[in-house]
Amino acid sequence: MRRIYILIITVLCCIAEAAAQGRVVTGSVTDGEFKGEPLIGAYVTVDGTKEKKNTVTDVNGKFSITVPTTTKSLTVSYIGYQPHTIKLKPNVNKYSITLFPDDKNLEEFIVTGYKQIDRRKLTAAVTTINISDETVGAVKNIDQALAGQVAGLSAQTSSGAPGAPMKIRIRGISSINGVQEPLWVLDGIPMEGNEIPQIDNLNDIDDIYQTSIAGLNPSDIENITVLKDAAATAIYGARAANGVIVITTKKGKEGRPIVNFSTKLTYNPRASIERLNLLNADEKVGLELDLLDSPYDYRQHKGGVANILDELGEFNAYKNGGWNALSGEAQERINRLRTINTDWNDILFRNVFNQEYNVSFSGGSDRAHYYASAGYYTEQGTVKGVENDRFNVTLKSDFKINRMLTVGASVFANQRKQKSYMTDTGGFTNPVYYSRMANPYFEPFDAMGNYIYDTNVQGRESEAPDFNIFEERNNTSKNRKDRSMMAIFDATLKFNSHLKLTSQYGLQHDNYTLKRYAGHNSYAMRKAKEYATFMVDGERKSILPDGGMIKQTEANTDQWTWKTMLEWDNRFNEIHDVELMGGAELRHTETEMLTSTAYGYDERTLTTQPVLFPTESIARRYPLHEEAHTENAYVSWFATGSYTLLYKYTLGGSIRFDGSDVFGVAKKYRFLPLYSVSGLWRANEERFLKNAKWIDELSLRASYGLQGNIDKNTSPYLIGTFDKTSVLPGYIESVISAENAPNPNLKWERTKNVNVGLNLGILNNRIRLSADYYYRRSSDLISSRQLPLETGFSSTTVNWASMENRGWEFALNTRNVVTKNFSWSTNLNLGFNTNKVLNESVAENATYPSREGRPVGAIFAYKTDGLDEDGYPLFVAKDGSRQTAAEFFRLNRFGASTLTAEEQRNLYSYMGTTDPKCSGGFINTFEWGNWMLNANLMFNLGMKVRVQPSYSPTYYDRGLNTNHDILNRWTATNTNTNMPALMYNTAGRVNEYTHFSEYNTFSMLDMWVRSSNYCRLQSLRLGYSIPKNILKPLGISSASLSLEGRNLFVIASNYDNYLDPETMGNPYAQPITRSFIFGLNVNF
Amino acid sequence: MKIQSILLSVLVLLNLTACDNFLDITPTGKVIAETGDEYRALLTYEYNNFTKDRYMTTLRTDEIVMDKSKSSSTDLDAYLDLWRWKDDNPSPTTSYFSWRSYYHAIYIANYIIEHQNEIKEATRDEINQLVGEAYMMRAYNHFLLVNLYAEPYTHCNPRETRGVPMLLKADVNAVPRSSSVDSVYNQVISDLEKAEMSLNVETWELGKNYRFNKVSPQALRSRVYLYMGRWKDALNAAKIVLQSHNALENLNSGTTLPNSFKSAENIVALERYSSNLYTVINMPSGSFIGLYRSGDQRRTKYFKRVTSSTYSLLKGGSDDLVCSFRTAEMYLTAAEASARLNETETAISYLTPLLENRLNASALQNTAELMDNMSQEELIQEIMDERARELAFEGHRWFDLRRTTRPALTRKYDGITYTIQPEQYTMRFPSEAVEANPEIERWD
Repeated sequence: MRRIYILIITVLCCIAEAAAQGRVVTGSVTDGEFKGEPLIGAYVTVDGTKEKKNTVTDVNGKFSITVPTTTKSLTVSYIGYQPHTIKLKPNVNKYSITLFPDDKNLEEFIVTGYKQIDRRKLTAAVTTINISDETVGAVKNIDQALAGQVAGLSAQTSSGAPGAPMKIRIRGISSINGVQEPLWVLDGIPMEGNEIPQIDNLNDIDDIYQTSIAGLNPSDIENITVLKDAAATAIYGARAANGVIVITTKKGKEGRPIVNFSTKLTYNPRASIERLNLLNADEKVGLELDLLDSPYDYRQHKGGVANILDELGEFNAYKNGGWNALSGEAQERINRLRTINTDWNDILFRNVFNQEYNVSFSGGSDRAHYYASAGYYTEQGTVKGVENDRFNVTLKSDFKINRMLTVGASVFANQRKQKSYMTDTGGFTNPVYYSRMANPYFEPFDAMGNYIYDTNVQGRESEAPDFNIFEERNNTSKNRKDRSMMAIFDATLKFNSHLKLTSQYGLQHDNYTLKRYAGHNSYAMRKAKEYATFMVDGERKSILPDGGMIKQTEANTDQWTWKTMLEWDNRFNEIHDVELMGGAELRHTETEMLTSTAYGYDERTLTTQPVLFPTESIARRYPLHEEAHTENAYVSWFATGSYTLLYKYTLGGSIRFDGSDVFGVAKKYRFLPLYSVSGLWRANEERFLKNAKWIDELSLRASYGLQGNIDKNTSPYLIGTFDKTSVLPGYIESVISAENAPNPNLKWERTKNVNVGLNLGILNNRIRLSADYYYRRSSDLISSRQLPLETGFSSTTVNWASMENRGWEFALNTRNVVTKNFSWSTNLNLGFNTNKVLNESVAENATYPSREGRPVGAIFAYKTDGLDEDGYPLFVAKDGSRQTAAEFFRLNRFGASTLTAEEQRNLYSYMGTTDPKCSGGFINTFEWGNWMLNANLMFNLGMKVRVQPSYSPTYYDRGLNTNHDILNRWTATNTNTNMPALMYNTAGRVNEYTHFSEYNTFSMLDMWVRSSNYCRLQSLRLGYSIPKNILKPLGISSASLSLEGRNLFVIASNYDNYLDPETMGNPYAQPITRSFIFGLNVNF
Repeated sequence: MKIQSILLSVLVLLNLTACDNFLDITPTGKVIAETGDEYRALLTYEYNNFTKDRYMTTLRTDEIVMDKSKSSSTDLDAYLDLWRWKDDNPSPTTSYFSWRSYYHAIYIANYIIEHQNEIKEATRDEINQLVGEAYMMRAYNHFLLVNLYAEPYTHCNPRETRGVPMLLKADVNAVPRSSSVDSVYNQVISDLEKAEMSLNVETWELGKNYRFNKVSPQALRSRVYLYMGRWKDALNAAKIVLQSHNALENLNSGTTLPNSFKSAENIVALERYSSNLYTVINMPSGSFIGLYRSGDQRRTKYFKRVTSSTYSLLKGGSDDLVCSFRTAEMYLTAAEASARLNETETAISYLTPLLENRLNASALQNTAELMDNMSQEELIQEIMDERARELAFEGHRWFDLRRTTRPALTRKYDGITYTIQPEQYTMRFPSEAVEANPEIERWD
């Protein structure tokens, strides 16, 4: 590609002032990378003269310049290449010079996925980062590489589980509904399957979520370009509303074959859970005794103390007579509980050692290039029993068939395996959750090593099936195997130097098999059996046979994309550059899923047993075979064009029509044109700045564009799904289930996008600054709205609001110190985003306030001020008075508010927003001889988080452990506190009790909204390149060693009771652990 | 080389000329109803998912007991607090009566009524029948709602009392408020009239007899008037039904339970026992069993003695036991209405055919003598007991108790005695419904 551009670059008009006296030096400049290809337009500068004197090479790479006789040397420079100085020898007037690419400089061509754009013509806001260990450290997945690297991109970890995805947002949120993830593009082909579920829904966090980007090996990646404004993303159409991330993989370079081997060995110590402030055995026993003394009777037979009292039949004795009424045995057994302290963290988690190996071969000639790699990566979760591995193979090659035709083919294949065990939908069998909930005095094994069953953690008042977390781990399994293949074929037909036709076909196939197995002796099986208990022949029994249960899911996703583009570019009169491109794209996706279930499963013999269902209606509840199928198709047309004058002024534009199959949508809604216009002014090329030598680059960019999105799941018509059923036994009929509310008024969501940017490079590019201001106005935003249940539906999708995002982004790269042996460079990137909802149509039935005039992540809460004489929260009314819940909400007898919805909305106060006001990264690199030190800091500042209450005042289950807050709750003897009392159903305050237990009020109190600011030392890495003279005898051309610590510390505002400020909202998340990595990289 | 280039160009041209047909994908299994069969399938879905709330009300009556040691733990989790009337702060695992599923059925009913002129591939009769069923669906759902969630018509001033929200249009943007008890009843009655005009299928074949037929509006009407205390109207409606549907299963000889969809008594076989509902609890209360006199065949046909003091239920747990309206109810309604109108002889004449099919010869004679000597009040009480005996575990008891005396029933569980208060015969609106629409408690 580069050559094509080089070919079309012609001489810039530069008028060399004629020298009065001197000699004429001629020469030719060639490209060291492309074997003698002439470099056109390279600058040749005469050194040591006061007046500026230079010339550029012609189309053959040749130059001729008259130099003063006193001149000793000439410097040849070319953008993207290392400058070269030649000493002029007396009487030699002909020189040949070879320039080599400057790898340290950013790429001079930006890959947008559709085109490669000369940086000098780039009108869009984009950021490119090179992916190497030096720049991003040892990352497991490419999404982790982006954290803290790009201004305006915020990356948040969802969990510390192996392979947990990052939540990536570019320039804030523009869409509320559904996908907020950017579009990932691999070598020009958009990838399917990267939506990440909402973090709140990830309660089954061991269900390690797989995205298709998780299958890529970071070591195969050359660079990543983040497209931020409409000028860059409009060409991607509707899917690009949240920004685009373009991945460019490595390719072979001309020259002798290069073999690269690298390995990373990682040690992760288990996290400490001291931060959680959980009660120890003594405190927990004390709490349980206190609660038994109090009238708080929710689940009063739960907990170790009640278990002992029930077993000895002394429960009522204690209730009536207290401690002294207990028998000696009871007292002794309760006291013994106080002395047991099971360290759940220690027995459930482990220190782990992970490994990664990669090997690649690459090379090429002038007619073909190849790159092949294989990688293996294995990770063990700090949760015992959780494992994850990945095997990658990448093959990439391109061939120049003749002068016109170039073809390429690449295949990215990987297989991922995950091992885990079954977790209950209730969440408590998740070890992270269990380690927080299990009682500190509970011992999982007896003296003989037999399982002891926990009867307190199931969240049920009545008896629950036996549960032991170790038994569960040993007797259940959940294995997932992913196989993914992405193949890309492309062909370029170059008719002449102005016109070319490119066609690219990408095929993505993802398949996974998920096997869930529960053995006979497991809680999962016991529970399944309990739920399958029916009256059969007058006898109560479970219909499931003895043995285990196996559930297998097979899913296939196939996508193909075929795009074709015709590109034409030309230069007129030496100064006018015109580039035009038009094309079409077809995309087709298909997913299939098949689940089969069998019971009475024996893992050893692989045999199952039939289930004898007593009735047809029961049999319907246990489907043995389920299938699903969806298919979608998309057609798009697009075009871009640009005009550049003198490399100073560029005007560009792009347009795209996206169409898709939308069932039950009027045809006029199928297409919406999305477009952008943009411009660039490179001021440093202006005559008046030409003399300002200290300025290397000064350019201004501006763009405007329209982006849009439509919700495919909502239709103006009542859409149903076919099914079969029998209303009366034995008579099968068709039914149509229509559980999605229709909405005839749904429109496209539109976002108008303005971007103004500045690029500045001064002092020989020692300081480079890129600053952007953007404004995005989104209207007719689509979101799901709760409906009054009386409509027959619970929610629908509506165009509910318009909002704006505005913000600044700065990226400052400085080379602070550059000496022969030592250099220090810094990269500071900052993003400031403010988001405001401009108008919001609040549903008449909504009780949560409108966010109009507030950020979309606005958190509202009820202001409270202390507690009343019963320890119930006191609310602050608008007039400043302190009121009880009954007064504040005007509760009726049933605990429901009698205020209108609007009045209820007005009870809230605004607390802040969940989105960071400022996010960014600060990266320092020190090089000293063969040593290199990198420190990457990333930070997110100015957020609010609504955390889960430490305990529920009505539903605190004493069978579970909790944090110290509960010890500080209001009691008759502890009145100087703001932690509410545990409430019970007294005659006086029944309606308040009902209100706190049934409505979501308690978690909406202001006390559960916390500030969140944090700064994390993402990576600290020390690298050493082994000197060449040591390596040469070994046949090694280069080798380096590194030692890296990731996540060594985090500085944050108060996050007491939580492991990490980043995962504060999610009690199920695995902690983000520290890791220490040793890396070795060898080139042969 | 040339050939390659041409081939590629052709392929590319193909790509560029992609047309709209590529986008015409009909998603697997998805449909917008157009034909008669498809509209029928929409309604069948509602029949199939019809709430089982009437059966669940049994838990709040004196028909059933729960016991810490004998009830299964899943049942205790789901039903204990419902059973012991702990309504202010039920455990979060408690199952309560539904709300949205009533209104989803009403939505589909409204949808069919509104789109009746757009239905393709169906005869006028088929469309009319469908529309009639839709009116019945709307009427019956509103009727059940007002009887679960609003005060009994007979214990309040119906014009001045909050009823339930009424939905008469398929409108997802509606934010309804409640209507008065009186207007809900009036709407039900007017829907029944409309249903009557449209329905034209006299009898559905076995297997489809869950659908509303031509006589069903009268059957429901007799129940509506009974609950309103309009005895004459109730009697008239029951009489009309009995003219065409008077068959009874004879429990002295037959083996078919009268509430089976295959029973000769069946009028509409819509509401189903959910097989996991109180068939597992399965503990009829001893005091309730005590209502059956000796010689009553129902005592052994409906129940099975397990120990000297405990019974299990035979009248539930089979998929065959599906019933919303049957002739026995009509006999009982006619008898009660007559007795209330002080036409005791007529009352006894409606009761006798039922008793002949339920009692053995000696018991029949004893009962006949007993009834002959009863005062009006005693006879009414006898008929109420007979209703309890006959319609046991079919979801009638709760509504019969609440429309009449709302007795202060008591229960014992784990050493604590619970008593139901009169106002607890009316359920509060589910909190998720209030949360989604805070103003439903208001009414105009």
